[in-house]
Amino acid sequence: MFSLNLDKRSDDRAELVDNQFSRQVQTAVDEISRALLGKDHQIRLALCCLFSGGHLLVEDLPGMGKTTLSYALAKALGLEYNRIQFTSDLLPADILGISIYDQANAQFTFHPGPIFNQVVLADEINRTTPKTQSALLEAMEERQVTVEGQTRKLPEPFFVIATQNPANLAGTYPLPESQLDRFLMRLRLGYPDQRAERELLEMDTEWDKVENVKQCLGKEEVIGFRRESANVNASGPLLDYVQRLIAFTRSNDEFHFGLSPRGSLALMRAAKTWALMCGRNHVIPEDVQTILPAVVEHRLRAVSDNDGHTGASIVQRMLNEVDILQ
Amino acid sequence: MSKVADYQIPRSALGWMLLSVLLVMLPQSLHMPFWVTFLTLVCIAWRWLIFTGVAAYPGRLLRIAIVVFTMTLSVSQMRSSGIGLDSAASLLALGFVFKLIEMRHKRDVYVVISLCFIMAMVNFLYSQSVVATIYTAIVIIVITCAMLALNRSHLHPVGRGNLRLATVMALQALPLTIVLFVMFPRIAPLWAVPMQNSSGTTGVSDEMTPGDLAQLGRSSELAFRVQFEDSLAPLHQDLYWRGLVLEDFDGQTWRRTRRGSSYSEAASLNDFRWNWEDRVRLGSQALRYNVIIEPSNQPWLYGLHLAQPLNRELYQSRNFEIFNNGVISKRSSYDLISYRGSATDLILLDSARRRTTNLPGRGNEQSVAFAERLRAGVQSDRDYVYAVLAHFQQNEFYYTLNPALLGEQRVDDFLFNTRQGFCEHYASSFAFLMRAVGIPARVVVGYQGAEYNPYEDYMMVYQYNAHAWNEVWLEGEGWVRFDPTAAVSPERIEQGVEAALADDPAFREQSLFSAARLGSLGWVNALRLRLDAIEYEWNRRVVNYDEDVQSDFLANVLGDVTDQKVLFVLIALAFVATGAIALTVISSEPRSRRSVADSLYYQFGKELDKISLGRQRGETPLRYRDRVCAAKPELAQLVTEATRCYMELNYHTGVRKQDSAGQESTTYGSNTDSLAEFRKVLTQLRFKLLPFGRLRREA
Repeated sequence: MFSLNLDKRSDDRAELVDNQFSRQVQTAVDEISRALLGKDHQIRLALCCLFSGGHLLVEDLPGMGKTTLSYALAKALGLEYNRIQFTSDLLPADILGISIYDQANAQFTFHPGPIFNQVVLADEINRTTPKTQSALLEAMEERQVTVEGQTRKLPEPFFVIATQNPANLAGTYPLPESQLDRFLMRLRLGYPDQRAERELLEMDTEWDKVENVKQCLGKEEVIGFRRESANVNASGPLLDYVQRLIAFTRSNDEFHFGLSPRGSLALMRAAKTWALMCGRNHVIPEDVQTILPAVVEHRLRAVSDNDGHTGASIVQRMLNEVDILQ
Repeated sequence: MSKVADYQIPRSALGWMLLSVLLVMLPQSLHMPFWVTFLTLVCIAWRWLIFTGVAAYPGRLLRIAIVVFTMTLSVSQMRSSGIGLDSAASLLALGFVFKLIEMRHKRDVYVVISLCFIMAMVNFLYSQSVVATIYTAIVIIVITCAMLALNRSHLHPVGRGNLRLATVMALQALPLTIVLFVMFPRIAPLWAVPMQNSSGTTGVSDEMTPGDLAQLGRSSELAFRVQFEDSLAPLHQDLYWRGLVLEDFDGQTWRRTRRGSSYSEAASLNDFRWNWEDRVRLGSQALRYNVIIEPSNQPWLYGLHLAQPLNRELYQSRNFEIFNNGVISKRSSYDLISYRGSATDLILLDSARRRTTNLPGRGNEQSVAFAERLRAGVQSDRDYVYAVLAHFQQNEFYYTLNPALLGEQRVDDFLFNTRQGFCEHYASSFAFLMRAVGIPARVVVGYQGAEYNPYEDYMMVYQYNAHAWNEVWLEGEGWVRFDPTAAVSPERIEQGVEAALADDPAFREQSLFSAARLGSLGWVNALRLRLDAIEYEWNRRVVNYDEDVQSDFLANVLGDVTDQKVLFVLIALAFVATGAIALTVISSEPRSRRSVADSLYYQFGKELDKISLGRQRGETPLRYRDRVCAAKPELAQLVTEATRCYMELNYHTGVRKQDSAGQESTTYGSNTDSLAEFRKVLTQLRFKLLPFGRLRREA
């Protein structure tokens, strides 16, 4: 049920195996793409990110559908979600929650902030100050929040889907590399293609479309993907290939710095989930190549790139240069 | 006074360097005056103290004093022992060790290192043996170590790798060394230091006073080595290595008749180049052999009678002795043909007869009377010879290295009183007895016997093999060899001097390490012969590789040798060497260790490259398959099959099964089957693509 059938002439998705996992993914993708037209691949990557238990950063210009994607994802997966609009005057307490003196009980009661949700939509995360950013990012890494000396666990699963505007736009506080590293993937949506745009124009307002998205997977399925992806087999030759990719970022002069071990772990985790999402129980180079740009682009920086965040071209070079064979 | 901060040589570099200075000077200290060695040690210690901060660099005055001191010493040494290798080498050594304490800057260190290399080469002037060569190689590795240690940066601090790296570097230089050794023209030096002028002559001399050869008999030094070509060596008792013929006798000493004032002048005289075949009836058995003679500082050479030299620089005298053109000052090799059983001088010229029957007018009357009495009792000259030999044999004559001293009438005293003697006593008195009755006779000195070395199939002749015997002219037979020593001590001739003198304490104490001493210890003897065999081969092949041998060798390899050709070959070899080094460097990058599956897949991509569908870097197997299938639908089945095999092998496209208990297990397609299938598919693909490959080649 997991093995490839190459004799089937499926022209574009030969790595896809039809089984329970791939069918579930297909359903979710179909559902979400009702809200976000023509972005199947990005939706798949976003799902992969969430199934891997990682946080997602969606970066693009305003009005490209970042928030739509986030909402649609949360809705389709049937997770409780809350949205935080990041502004420059937002404070950590606005995210984490605050204890307020309750006169009735004559004591302080903790009022949990919006972070205590399964999915947190952190909209325009780079428009707030580093102080507030770090409050969120700490929660992302630890999956717990310490407020007023008390540590509170965040719900399970816990995802942060953050959106941000490209760093060079006005009124942004770029995320430092250390915090960018905490996002498993960074996606760019890009302009819709001609057909999708036409369809978009023919439809009603955007909000309606998100309303249309129905829950198609549940919390159990999401956790099930996470559990199952740990059993996906990565063979020796494949790990060799991944290591060559990582070594390339560390040895090549074009990279400002190489990929961190956290980055390489993220790469492997995402590749395994992707393999599972394609219905396979083993990772093949295609999986690695597919998820690689989303996983490593925001962690790498070209030497020639001064304002950061544009690893795309060198990542493409990396894919072209590093051979599958030893 | 502007003072540049002194360069601080790294500790390990200094250590290696002082060690190399010590090693370089060690073999030379054997040849140099004691005070040179002493100054070497002082300078090494001083340099170390400078490094540790205990001592200071020598000041200007001291340095001037040292220069004056060195020059004075050298001049005085040259005055006492002449300008020669020793004095030149000690001057060089002094400058070298004094440079040590003056070594302030990095540049100075490099100068000392270069000097170390030069001093290592100076050792070859003294000895070119295998041991010396190996020693020098080790010294060179140590000097290279010093260089490496000097150039270690802080990033690569002191490492144990120095020695290993230096050895590797020395090994890398080996091919170039061999090429240069074989090919590089042997250019005569523009100037030369007289070599080893201090060492005396050794070997048989051209005068023989009883007692001379006995001195040689105590020496276990090697005289020469002989190798016979493609014929069996003669028996031990026939190994008479004929050296000089002594004809003049003054009652005590036998001398060679000198015609020119010196041998080398005589060589230029035309009458030495007579046509010798006229006086010779050649024997039928021809022996060809090569002799490598140790330096004797004398011009004569040794060979079996009757020897014809094959080298240009050699010539023969009237008496069929062989001479070199100039004294043998270094180990030399020459080739001879000996015609055994040859007879010479069937007709004796009057002048020669006069010379070989001449006796001093007075003295030794008792012997003369004895000779005349004996001659009267027999019929012919030959019978007389046998009668004399029988006299030696039947009476109480002893063969010993330590004969009693002889009085004024030496022959009388020996024949009738002491009756103890070494070979020269017998040869001398035998010739006297012949001449006393007018039979032409003469003394021949040379060597008798040899030790056979089975490892390289050659013979070793030692100084203690020195021997004297006689040649007597008989009517119709010419000069015939007689050996009176054989009559007294047959074992000397048949088994060698070791056997004959085994009980003689004088012989035993001198030849401590000779065959006679160690022959009883089997393995020691084998080891000794083995080492000598190595030394022999080394001398034959390496040390003797001179200009002539080189041109012969190059002529064999290159045909007609011209300088351009040699140059061309050298340049070609340089290219090959550079290419080889470049290849090594390139291939020393971590080579991809492809698995079988990977290499099969690589070949698969190569095959498809024939139809311009080669695999690209970073292209995944599935995408590659898709691309090929799109371009060549007719290959789709094979390509898909190959891709499937490859992915199954590499990425374990196994089948996950769930057994009855609900346990999941993954089974992978058995690797060998997939490999076999992969190979089969690849072969089919090759077959299919064969025409393309051929087309491309034709194009």
